[in-house]
Amino acid sequence: MNFVNLSLFENYQKYIDNEQEMRENIRVVVREIESLAKEATIQLQVIHCDLEKIDYACAGARKQISACADSYKKLAAIIPIGQYYKYSDHWTFITQRLVFIIAMVVYLEAGFLVTRETVAELLGLKTNQAEGFHLDIEDYLMGILQMASELSRFATNSVTMADYDRPLNISRFMADLHSGFRLLNLKNDGLRKRFDALKYDVKKIEEVVYDITIRGFRNAGVTNAAELPTST
Amino acid sequence: MPENSGRYQQHNRRNQKKECPVIDENNVVLKSFQSYGLELDAKHDRNERIVKLSRDITIESKRIIFLLHSIDIRKNNKEKVLQEAQTRLEKVISTNFKAVAEELCGHDPYQFRWAYSPGLQEFIEAYTFMEYIKNAEYDESCSGGSDAEMSDWTELQKKMTYSKKSEDNEEEFSFFIDPTEYILGVSDLTGELMRRCIISLGSGEIVFCLIAKMILQKIFTGYIGLNVHRCRELSRKIFTMRQSVLKAENVCYNVKVRGCEAAKWKDIFDNKPGDDIDEGF
Repeated sequence: MNFVNLSLFENYQKYIDNEQEMRENIRVVVREIESLAKEATIQLQVIHCDLEKIDYACAGARKQISACADSYKKLAAIIPIGQYYKYSDHWTFITQRLVFIIAMVVYLEAGFLVTRETVAELLGLKTNQAEGFHLDIEDYLMGILQMASELSRFATNSVTMADYDRPLNISRFMADLHSGFRLLNLKNDGLRKRFDALKYDVKKIEEVVYDITIRGFRNAGVTNAAELPTST
Repeated sequence: MPENSGRYQQHNRRNQKKECPVIDENNVVLKSFQSYGLELDAKHDRNERIVKLSRDITIESKRIIFLLHSIDIRKNNKEKVLQEAQTRLEKVISTNFKAVAEELCGHDPYQFRWAYSPGLQEFIEAYTFMEYIKNAEYDESCSGGSDAEMSDWTELQKKMTYSKKSEDNEEEFSFFIDPTEYILGVSDLTGELMRRCIISLGSGEIVFCLIAKMILQKIFTGYIGLNVHRCRELSRKIFTMRQSVLKAENVCYNVKVRGCEAAKWKDIFDNKPGDDIDEGF
């Protein structure tokens, strides 16, 4: 009775061994990226206690980001064409983290929302799936949402550090972001859950703005703020 | 009062700000989100279409399995049923899987894996079960039954290669079968073999009980030899498979001990062979 050929299982074992080895290689590179990203996260924490050091922190973070781009190149070389999503669970988390860091840096430096294309460029990735190792759109959006909660924390802390204009800018920026996300038809998945948290971040910032406005902390800032929208 | 006027202005401004983005077409953020929205929608739509196709494949495969279980020596319908099952399976390959392959054309098949995997596994189960009945169950009264082996994933994949006619040339594309999906599909086959083993006992085809048991044992040996980490689904299936093997072995044990007539009447489904076995003596 030869219906079942045991070589079938041998072949599968070979296949799975290859896959296992691939995953180990991926894990090494991903760990590398993770430690670089951690470094950048730590450097960016300084913005919550010292506004003077923002530029310095951004420069430091950018250095880590370009180091990450090199590691991503290595990662891209390992992954066979058309198997991005087979292994993507190894790096989605860290990619979201990096999107968050980049979006934070770009906002602190220039005050606008980084586009997906720019993030991809900074990390040395493609935006189109067909072109190779790419930045998944959901990862990008998740990273942006992480930035939103960080900004609401930043708004509170900048009030503590007596910078009363910053929360206003952040509030305006977040309002844009919120209406941007409302344009998306989100499925009932992780992204949707994360988006639901955005309204609490927006609310928190609006309360901060309300607090400083009602106390007249930013009297001088009113005229300033009226001019600002053109720059965002 | 300066405070008052300031607050009034601020309040007004904020209200405008909230309305503004919806109207403002020049807003960069909204513009880029519009394109993100389109991309996400396209992805969700494709996913949804594949889920629908997969569901159809699941239903049809389940029906084919049900049909194959209706093969009974007393009705002498093996030939006819097998023929029908085979044509229906071919039809699933040539229409449903072709549609899925078309959807996946130019995309990463792993991206939509969760959308099509239930259908694929059910289909693999039905297909290999059909092959089992066709090739493994010898029967003097019917022709058919050969030494042919069960198809593996490469052979199935070959069957799912289609050609697309465009204006000037013919393009080949195929449905990609991940070996892991195949292995998971075959592990479901063992449940059907166990049922087949018990049904055969009911109709008095003792030879088939023994064949089914033997194939089950062989498959089980193959599975426990696998060294797979990371796949919880597989270890759960292997656990279920063990229970199926035990049931089938128990059936064969009862057949040996009591002869086929007695076994039919006894509760063969329980897994406690130690209980009153000597009752029949």
